[in-house]
Amino acid sequence: MNLAPFFTWLEHSPLGEFIRSLGVWSYGVINLVHILGIMLLFGSILILDLRMLGAWRQVPLAVLSRPTTTMAQIGFILAVCSGLPMLSVKTTDYIGNPFLLIKFPAIALALVNVWLVHRTIAWREHRERELLPAENRRLAQGAALSLTFWLTAITSGRMIGYW
Amino acid sequence: MRAMLSAGLLMSALIVSPAFAHHGWGGQEEAITTLNGTVVQGVSLAGPHATMKIKAGNDVWDLTLAPPFRTERAGLKEGLIPVGATVTVRGNRNSDHNRHEMKTIYVKHGSTEYHVYPDRE
Repeated sequence: MNLAPFFTWLEHSPLGEFIRSLGVWSYGVINLVHILGIMLLFGSILILDLRMLGAWRQVPLAVLSRPTTTMAQIGFILAVCSGLPMLSVKTTDYIGNPFLLIKFPAIALALVNVWLVHRTIAWREHRERELLPAENRRLAQGAALSLTFWLTAITSGRMIGYW
Repeated sequence: MRAMLSAGLLMSALIVSPAFAHHGWGGQEEAITTLNGTVVQGVSLAGPHATMKIKAGNDVWDLTLAPPFRTERAGLKEGLIPVGATVTVRGNRNSDHNRHEMKTIYVKHGSTEYHVYPDRE
């Protein structure tokens, strides 16, 4: 898959032009927002996933699930809204960077996993009733996949700058 | 206490791991290389580091300067050195000689000198 035309387009897009015109501190500030976003996203997901994997059983899942998913959504939005501008500054620099090609598919898989978990009967009914052991196992599988995908995305994302 | 100890151990492992050496000086040659060339792409102060491109001989070099604020403080602002101008630059080139990339510590344009990383000269 050749991403070069898309990268060139993004770099020369109005977004790229705008971010480059913002001055010497802009990249650092946008980077900060990205870190805060990832922190919210992964911090919330980690607590929810560990709960679904069996930690803190005395805390009902129904109590944890709403605040953690809300905060994770806010974190994801912050990360996307800061990530695209960072990418647009010098997109062509990333042509041939292998970590980018790990990061974005990992995010895609993580989102598909979120969608699949939210479609399960276990997730849809966990606020109304006690879950059966098999349903808890289904959530635990989703949680394990979630941690794998998000950690892969974060790790490869961090490594982009070191290539 | 045990958690703090493990966190400390993990941190030290990360710090000594060479992959975590900050953006590249680790991947650069110790020796300083001097290049004479013409500017292909002028100074850009956008992104994590300021950059410019010059052509020396038949090769186009990616010059990585200091972070934007530090580069600007060294006097090297965008648009000061026009495309096509002749410059002399010094820095540490990438240890992979197939990559024409250099962490640049000094730029000279005409009689004007820019000390981007004076402590590394």
